[in-house]
Amino acid sequence: MIFRPRYFFGETFIGMRRNFLMFFTAISTVAITLFIVGFFLIIVYDVQGVLTSIKSQVEVAVYLKDNITDELKVYLENEIKNWDEVDEVTFVSKDQALEKFKKDNEGSEILKEIQGNPLPASFEIKLTSPEKVEQIALRFVDKDGNYIEGVDEVIYGQNYVQKLFSITAIAGSIAFLIIIMLLLAAIVLVFNTIRLSIHARRKEIEVMKLVGATNWFVRIPFLFEGFFEGFAGSLISVVLLYFMSNYLLIRGEKAIVDTMHVKELAILGVNNVILYIYAGLVVLGGLVGLLSSSFALKRYIRV
Amino acid sequence: MNMIEYRNVTKIYEDKTAALKNISLTIKKGEFVFLVGPSGSGKSTMIKLLIREIAVSAGAIFVAGRNICNLKQSRIPQLRRNIGSVFQDFKLLPNKTVFENVAFALEVIGKPSYVIKLQVPQVLKLVGLEHKLQSYPHQLSAGEQQRVSIARAFVNRPPILLADEPTGNLDPVTSEGIMKLLSRINLIGTTVAMATHDKNIVNSMRRRVIELEEGEIIRDQKRGVYGI
Repeated sequence: MIFRPRYFFGETFIGMRRNFLMFFTAISTVAITLFIVGFFLIIVYDVQGVLTSIKSQVEVAVYLKDNITDELKVYLENEIKNWDEVDEVTFVSKDQALEKFKKDNEGSEILKEIQGNPLPASFEIKLTSPEKVEQIALRFVDKDGNYIEGVDEVIYGQNYVQKLFSITAIAGSIAFLIIIMLLLAAIVLVFNTIRLSIHARRKEIEVMKLVGATNWFVRIPFLFEGFFEGFAGSLISVVLLYFMSNYLLIRGEKAIVDTMHVKELAILGVNNVILYIYAGLVVLGGLVGLLSSSFALKRYIRV
Repeated sequence: MNMIEYRNVTKIYEDKTAALKNISLTIKKGEFVFLVGPSGSGKSTMIKLLIREIAVSAGAIFVAGRNICNLKQSRIPQLRRNIGSVFQDFKLLPNKTVFENVAFALEVIGKPSYVIKLQVPQVLKLVGLEHKLQSYPHQLSAGEQQRVSIARAFVNRPPILLADEPTGNLDPVTSEGIMKLLSRINLIGTTVAMATHDKNIVNSMRRRVIELEEGEIIRDQKRGVYGI
């Protein structure tokens, strides 16, 4: 068979123009389903970013007794610094603590009530692996359940941190399942739409076979069309996602930052991972379109 | 020379109905043959076997001396390019014009566009539709649609033309026109086999008649009529 691009492309585009409704349906199905998949992927990625940044802010605060000796203080600081899980240790003296408290509560009535300096000195410990926060905290407790010498209290947001970690784990697996299901639904929907559009043209296939067209000759325009529908649909979904994530999500993120009082968030918009998601959607769209046509044709090509 | 030969052909469908029972038959080059008989007698099965739409259960069919039963799947298009087919329901593509419907038959077998531009108007002139090139099938009468389908079957000048009830949907006057057209195509040297119910047509043409009943040939007559 001679390959004649003009015939194949011509047939593809004439076919699309004359079966515009089916063509439109196929493209919009691809665009909408992949948009939903992509939307969800971006949200999940975004939430992961938020959780990671919240996790990275998990700290252990070790409050010291006022009567702690300098030797013990230095000993503790060196000891803590040597732990593998520790990223950074900051010593906050009583004076620094008071200063910070005054700054945080500027203009408030409470400042007038303070006499002297009731605030303790403390170590603020940042961790390399936030999941180990409880183990670290327990090192300041002796066998009898009392704090070790010089330590008044250890605070790390016990309940809050535990909940955060278990929620993250569960949410991660649920999100994974939902993405898989959405992907399957998208593939099935696109496949059915393309199969319908081929079914609508089964007469054409029958006639082609009757006048002696080879199977490939019948197939190629449909494959082009399927690929084009998947490709164009996924491009549309990516354009929609781009605008959505650039305008809506960034605003949403600002709202999260404002309401949850977290210091920083992974700022989204377009970064590498999002670009991979976009590229993945386009490849998926084209591939699903092509394969759907190919599978759907099998039934009709045997005349 | 034998153009078509059925040699001890049996066809049993998947539901165990025997459509053809051990039939043998030869059709010479340039012959015009009517296949007659009631519905379900096996006429359409004979035609479908010839273009390998279905395969024989036993026996062999030869076209121009070649056994088409052991043809590889990839060679079937080649067989069909040498056999034009016309059907009761025309099988025209509704979203293509008359010109495009006929041109389609040449395009899908890879003919270059200058050949298409030359041959399509020629064959449409032969069937008397040279003035309707740009019409769509729904704008034509049933008789005109059948002419387009004959043009499509013949545009590639196949040595064999098969017609399965080509006048089944047409009134007698229109049918007569179609038969004149088929006769003319036969006169050019094309072997024509036509399955029909139409008694008047068979009687007026006085050509070879092969009568089938329940999958068996019960009559093969040189210049026959529909019923004895």
